[in-house]
Amino acid sequence: MKKKFVSIVTAVLLAFPLLAKAAPVKIGFINSITGKEAQIGENLTNGVTMAIEDLKAKGIQVELVKEDDGGDPKNALAAYEKLATRDGVIGVVGPYTSGCANVVASRADQYQVPLLVPAAAKEEITMKGYKNVFRLNAPANVYSMVLMDAVKAFHPKTIAYVYAATDFGVSTVKTAQDNALKMGLKEVANEKYQQGQPDYRPSLYKVKAANPDLVFLVSYDADAILLMRQAKEIGLTPKAFLGAGAGYTTAQFAQQTEISNLVVSATQWTDDVNWAGASDFGRRYKAKYSKEPSYHAACAYEAMRIMVETASKTRSAAKLRAALKSGSWNGILGPVKFADYGGFTNQNNHPMLVQQIQNGKYETVYPSTFSKKRLIFPFTR
Amino acid sequence: MSFLQPLLSGILTGGVYALAGMGMSLVFGVMNISNFAHGDLMMLGMYMAFFAFTLLHIDPYVSLVLIIPTAFLFGFMVEKLFINRVIHHPHQNQILLTIGLGLIMSNTALLAFTSDPKILTTTYSSSAFNLPGGISLSVPLLISFLITGVTIAILYLFLAKSRTGMALRATSQNREAAQLMGINVAKMSAIAFGIGTALAATAGALIAPTYYIHPLAGHSFLLKAFTICVLGGLGSVVGAGVGGIIIGVVEAMSSTYWSTDWKDVIVFVLFLAVLLFRPQGLFGKKGGE
Amino acid sequence: MKKIALSVIAATAVALPIFIGENPYLIGIMISVLMMAALSSAWNILGGYAGQYSFGHAAYFGTGAYSTLILLTLNNSLNPLFCMAMGIIVASIIALITGSIVFRLRGHYFGLASIAVAEIVRLSVLNLEFTGGAQGILLSDVSLWGIDLNSKNPFYYGMLLVLVVTLSISQYLRTSKTGYYLQAIREDQDAAASLGINLAFYKNKALLISAALTSILGSLYGLYIRFIDTSAVLDLRLSIEIILTAIIGGVGTMWGPVVGALLLVPLAEMLRSNLLGDVLVKAGLVSETSGIGVFLKENLAHAHVLVYGIITVLCILYLPKGILGLFRRVK
Repeated sequence: MKKKFVSIVTAVLLAFPLLAKAAPVKIGFINSITGKEAQIGENLTNGVTMAIEDLKAKGIQVELVKEDDGGDPKNALAAYEKLATRDGVIGVVGPYTSGCANVVASRADQYQVPLLVPAAAKEEITMKGYKNVFRLNAPANVYSMVLMDAVKAFHPKTIAYVYAATDFGVSTVKTAQDNALKMGLKEVANEKYQQGQPDYRPSLYKVKAANPDLVFLVSYDADAILLMRQAKEIGLTPKAFLGAGAGYTTAQFAQQTEISNLVVSATQWTDDVNWAGASDFGRRYKAKYSKEPSYHAACAYEAMRIMVETASKTRSAAKLRAALKSGSWNGILGPVKFADYGGFTNQNNHPMLVQQIQNGKYETVYPSTFSKKRLIFPFTR
Repeated sequence: MSFLQPLLSGILTGGVYALAGMGMSLVFGVMNISNFAHGDLMMLGMYMAFFAFTLLHIDPYVSLVLIIPTAFLFGFMVEKLFINRVIHHPHQNQILLTIGLGLIMSNTALLAFTSDPKILTTTYSSSAFNLPGGISLSVPLLISFLITGVTIAILYLFLAKSRTGMALRATSQNREAAQLMGINVAKMSAIAFGIGTALAATAGALIAPTYYIHPLAGHSFLLKAFTICVLGGLGSVVGAGVGGIIIGVVEAMSSTYWSTDWKDVIVFVLFLAVLLFRPQGLFGKKGGE
Repeated sequence: MKKIALSVIAATAVALPIFIGENPYLIGIMISVLMMAALSSAWNILGGYAGQYSFGHAAYFGTGAYSTLILLTLNNSLNPLFCMAMGIIVASIIALITGSIVFRLRGHYFGLASIAVAEIVRLSVLNLEFTGGAQGILLSDVSLWGIDLNSKNPFYYGMLLVLVVTLSISQYLRTSKTGYYLQAIREDQDAAASLGINLAFYKNKALLISAALTSILGSLYGLYIRFIDTSAVLDLRLSIEIILTAIIGGVGTMWGPVVGALLLVPLAEMLRSNLLGDVLVKAGLVSETSGIGVFLKENLAHAHVLVYGIITVLCILYLPKGILGLFRRVK
């Protein structure tokens, strides 16, 4: 009798994971669907949507709970708390903005629900030793590092900074100044601007007067086009325009060939890089959304894929954390591993890419292991 | 660098600001309402110019002949349906109503056009006239400045000479007295709001070829438009014109000779200084409140 | 009767966290409700009683938050209450400067000038170095008398306490000499002046009280959220939200701001988290896979600000005196 009972219990226990497997895994996604960052947020949403479709095709069922933070940290916190306590998700992907990611990350250890940050750049997020916070993309300091490495061989002497007065703008330029110092570059102009102005000419005239070899730019979406238009208009022609991510990596920018040709930019991802499935993702994204994928879309896709695949095997927040910590993946963002190094915790040491717009198309030009084309230097109109 | 460069480029940019401020000033004058939806009305103008350009292949400056009447009708309707009902309510209710209307407009645009910024690239979007002395003037800004000048002249003549214009001015000076004189003040309010909307949309369309088009793009201009109104004197069309140019020049000068990130602070300090020392504005009527 | 009602409300408010138990999400929303109720009540002292519609109260909120977090970043062992007091001092200085400029103006000009002052504060914080600039300030853990400030309950009771203090001051002002003078100023400034009321003194007094309370709430919020930047605590949007809450509840009434916050904050959260769509689906009114269901799920999240705008417009048009104004009319 006792034996029979034990065997029944054992059988039930053994069958339980099989039963459980049929239920979809529940994952949260916090994003800026409305608010100032809504445009980039839409790219993340698209990437995540594609990830969920691909996972379903592989037979992995996901129940995704989407939350909008509108770019406000207070909302992001409410969203995370709702996901962790009310919806009972076992992992969360997001938030997009650095401010929101900062606040949510600081609470993740309290609720013990792993957070995978797909695209926020602020270094602090993974520098506080949080156990439940993982980041896929490279942080802000890598943007300037990789750009300067790419042009090092040409021995530029002077640099000017033109950047938006935002967290990303200021953080990136601060690290760029450190890197420039190491390279012996002399800073000849530093122009910080408020976003959304119609007229950047006064700043650009100052930069032109300083005649720098390199112009280092950090701008969001449309500001990038505006700045480069006005730079052309006033005849600002340095040896290279270096755009750190964001506005200089959009398809829309590349299409404006008369102002964007030969602009160099740092990015987390390109569709011509030799990472597994990158070009396929690019092609499918274009077919589905009839526009070029941004690196945000790729990061969100990969973050969601890693999160769901890992979560569907582990099925509990604690095991998920351990699996994220110990696992490694290979996909459209290349090899991924959440490691502790140089003050970071659970940070994927993602190699950033340098791309240059050549004939209206982004071409990966650095590092040479990932690129087919060569950097054209100096810049000419 | 020549002192003339920031001066001239400030004047040109100021032209667009002037147009944005003027529409708001007219609404202020006639209806005594602070219109917080003004930036969103500008945004509508930008989209109209964009779609006229991409769908109908009409140059953004030419498309004004379509945009101005459409925007006027839209403004007229908005006044009749909404604003008109709070005309005797406290200021803050009027302000919140326009804020609510603005939220509706910008978020409807967000749903309809997505948050991807649209870029209107014409053949002259980044071209410039090069003057002797190394000074360059943006071609699109120069064209919009000229259109602004013509618009101001027409508006001025309309207000000074036409019957409706005179009725508008009378309403602006004293609403009750105007009503007693047999002026249909409700209609005047709708007309004023219609013209204000048309001016905002014109400003939006004029800036479209050199700016980007986005559901929230008008917000950058809202506080500037207020500043311009106060500077020129609430209700004064000419004042708004001059006020816009002053703001444009102050911005260009302060970014050139001091710092780009502090230029907005300088504009607001100037705004407070005008309020303190000349509350009626540079061209305003006395005792306006 | 009124006393009984008050004690019931007070007892419920105090006991609420115990009923809710371990539900940080709900407590978090309640904290937002209490904060907005207190902010709006504090604004109401100046806007509702004295009739001076400030569109720049975010400046005082942000000043409180920034002062506290800057000081704590410099020295983590400082007592948060001391930092809060410093915030009040800075906010009062800004209020006095603002008052000396804007109280000479009336009507539209006053509102616009208050926006200008708030924008100057916001842009200065954004451009300066010691404020963290565009990067904002991230605070590591702090503690006060051994209380765990990572948990929500201290902030729930903190916000509740400030709300009670604010309401008590409101009540006191309504029946005191100052209160009558403020109401006289609201109804007719010239008449009030001709009666010998020192306009500038009483307006400044109302502004100072209002600014100090707002600054305390900013400090509490900063300690609660532990990351601030200009868009979160100094934005014009926040100032507008404060006024909207008061107007929808009922300007110039004691309980109006509280009613407004009880209504608007949960509503905004329901719209944000798409609860409305979920409820419709769960109630079986709309099928999840039907066209409408998919539309709600996909678009309501995008449209919540739109819905908020529509509600604002409807309230202004149909409830111009606020919800409490409606009840008064019925009486």
